[in-house]
Amino acid sequence: MADDGAARQLDKEILSPKPGIQSPAEGGGDFQPRIVGFLCNWCSYAGADLAGVTRLKMPPSMVAIRVMCSSRVDPLFVLKAFLAGADGVLVAGCHPGDCHYQTGNYYTRRRFALTLKVLEELGLEANRVRLSWVSASEGGRFAEVVTEFTETIRKAGPNPAKTEVFL
Amino acid sequence: MAKIGLYLCECGPNIADAIDLDRVAAEIEKDGKVAGIERHKLFCSADGKKFLAESIKKNGFERFVIAACSPKQHEGTFAEVASDVGLNPQMFQLVNIREQCAWTVPDKEQATGKALRFIRAAVTRVQYHQALEQKEIDCNPDVFVIGGGIAGIEVALRTAHKGRKVFLAEKGELGGMLKERGLLFPAMEPAGDFLGPRIDALRNNPQIELFENCKVKEVLGFFGSFVALLETQEGKEIELKAGSVVLATGAQAFNPKELAEYGYGKLDGVYTADEIEKRGVGKLLTESAKPVKSVAVIHCVGRDKLGYCSKMCCVNSMKIARQIREQSAETEVVELYRDLCLPGKGYDRFYKETEAKGVKFARFESVEVTGGDSGLTVKYKQPGGTGAELAVDMVVLSTGLAANPSNPELADMLSISVDESGFFVEEHAVLNPVSTMTEGVFIAGCARGPGDTRDTIVQASATAGKVLSSLVPGKRLQLETRTSEVSEKLCVGCGTCVTVCAYGATTLDESRHIAVVNEVLCRGCGNCASACPSGAAKHRHFTTRQLNQEVTEILK
Repeated sequence: MADDGAARQLDKEILSPKPGIQSPAEGGGDFQPRIVGFLCNWCSYAGADLAGVTRLKMPPSMVAIRVMCSSRVDPLFVLKAFLAGADGVLVAGCHPGDCHYQTGNYYTRRRFALTLKVLEELGLEANRVRLSWVSASEGGRFAEVVTEFTETIRKAGPNPAKTEVFL
Repeated sequence: MAKIGLYLCECGPNIADAIDLDRVAAEIEKDGKVAGIERHKLFCSADGKKFLAESIKKNGFERFVIAACSPKQHEGTFAEVASDVGLNPQMFQLVNIREQCAWTVPDKEQATGKALRFIRAAVTRVQYHQALEQKEIDCNPDVFVIGGGIAGIEVALRTAHKGRKVFLAEKGELGGMLKERGLLFPAMEPAGDFLGPRIDALRNNPQIELFENCKVKEVLGFFGSFVALLETQEGKEIELKAGSVVLATGAQAFNPKELAEYGYGKLDGVYTADEIEKRGVGKLLTESAKPVKSVAVIHCVGRDKLGYCSKMCCVNSMKIARQIREQSAETEVVELYRDLCLPGKGYDRFYKETEAKGVKFARFESVEVTGGDSGLTVKYKQPGGTGAELAVDMVVLSTGLAANPSNPELADMLSISVDESGFFVEEHAVLNPVSTMTEGVFIAGCARGPGDTRDTIVQASATAGKVLSSLVPGKRLQLETRTSEVSEKLCVGCGTCVTVCAYGATTLDESRHIAVVNEVLCRGCGNCASACPSGAAKHRHFTTRQLNQEVTEILK
């Protein structure tokens, strides 16, 4: 893939956890983050199923919404989820080069970069959204992503959009 | 509001033990959004499906939600039940409370909470489901095979045998790599004995139309209705129509010219295994200017450059080595190998037989061939680092297989991919090894990666089976129902959806200045719906409204 180098760089930038804004809820033990996960049907949803089939334990924080391709995830869905009170939003699709629809995930990646910019403008921490590539055979990776992301959100605390009006 | 039924599947103990279904039922009933809730031990069983169908009919439910397993497993099963009771198959939502809830959340309380969020979202979503029409098109059962090697020949014969009309295009002569092979592993039968009758059968089969010395210029269309454009050597164009396309483009021997250490093309007496097979071992030995007293066969030529082991070259070189020994008992033959690849039936025995014929084996780490007045010298480093030298009269380079260079162009035409080595990528390397990401496009033989004749025949038979079972004459093809549509009223004709579509399904209607979707080509990814700046493109069954409702309900 010609843009692989650039893509990796972008992945790194997007996926590396950024220091979240400390919220009053931090340290509160019973905060159960609410995370919406948009999973593509062919890779990530199948990976999530595999995590279940292999009985991998993970926090109950993430509820999946199945889309056929991660490219169906309009940045507005992510914003809508935050407006509706999500503490975190996960978008997961096939690995670059493996999209069931050939190039859908490249669009997802670009749109995700755009979504980050919008969130920045709105003052919402960038680590509340995560883009991950999870294949149908990566049940373990899926469980890791959910566990890690839940931890990140737990540290970031509840979505400030619930109390601070900026959206 | 439509009358909605909720069905809770216990899935034996799988769900019933992990989730408090009584509480789920009680809470959903309290919400007051469903008209009835029923439970069953196993809805996907014959008994369960019957129970479901009768319950839907008895209660007059117009839509239903079934909380059970992954839609990847049983969405089709319950869509059938919906159809059977006269509902549109889109009028239900399958909630995955098994794989993504019962099996991953060990705490029953937490699992029940998660299941409730999932089910509530589905109860809300299903209210926004819209009936979709199952469209069908006539299918063309004819087969278009690209490549006239043994893979293509085998697919053509097998599909023609079942009465299919077959078009076979070959850019050169029929026979592919096999026509240059001498004897075949493992029984050492002449390849010609096997290939010749097949080519004759191909030529004499009235169901098969051959296009030799023809290049494929273009392939348009889709599963059930492809249109291919061929070009003859004289520049004449031929158009043909078929329902499926088989890529049997084969491979080619790696050319060792680019690797200086073998002296190929510069030193007399250095041959590739292919050249030897083509000319015949006996001929080479007798026609040589001076008697061939010693031969070194060097394995793994090109393996590092190609980036993979070609699997067939080890036995191929042994075949040559033993033929030399058989025809000239005084000739010493040494096989210099890095690793011996001898997987599967008959291989190891073949190796032992070769050894028994007096062929010597020596392992090397690196090798160099140099020439002098007295003959060729093969210097090699043994494992452990010590150097060794062989003075020989002839060197045979056992080369690997490289992908056909025309693969990327064909892949582009058919919207599939080639891997980093140039071989076609399968739909799934394990589960669907002869189909591709484009429905109706299949692969056979070395077009998908190096292999031997036996592998090729196995794949060609599998491909023929796939072709025959997917395109049955008279059968109508069911199209994807969850496709995209563009609202004529909202579309401003910007063409964004046209640029993002990987299938050419969206095009601009120049006269009306709006985008239109070809439902036959649309695969239903929904990319255009996300890209559309004016909200005109809609992804059926995954509409913005449906998804937003689902999201909002999950977060309540």
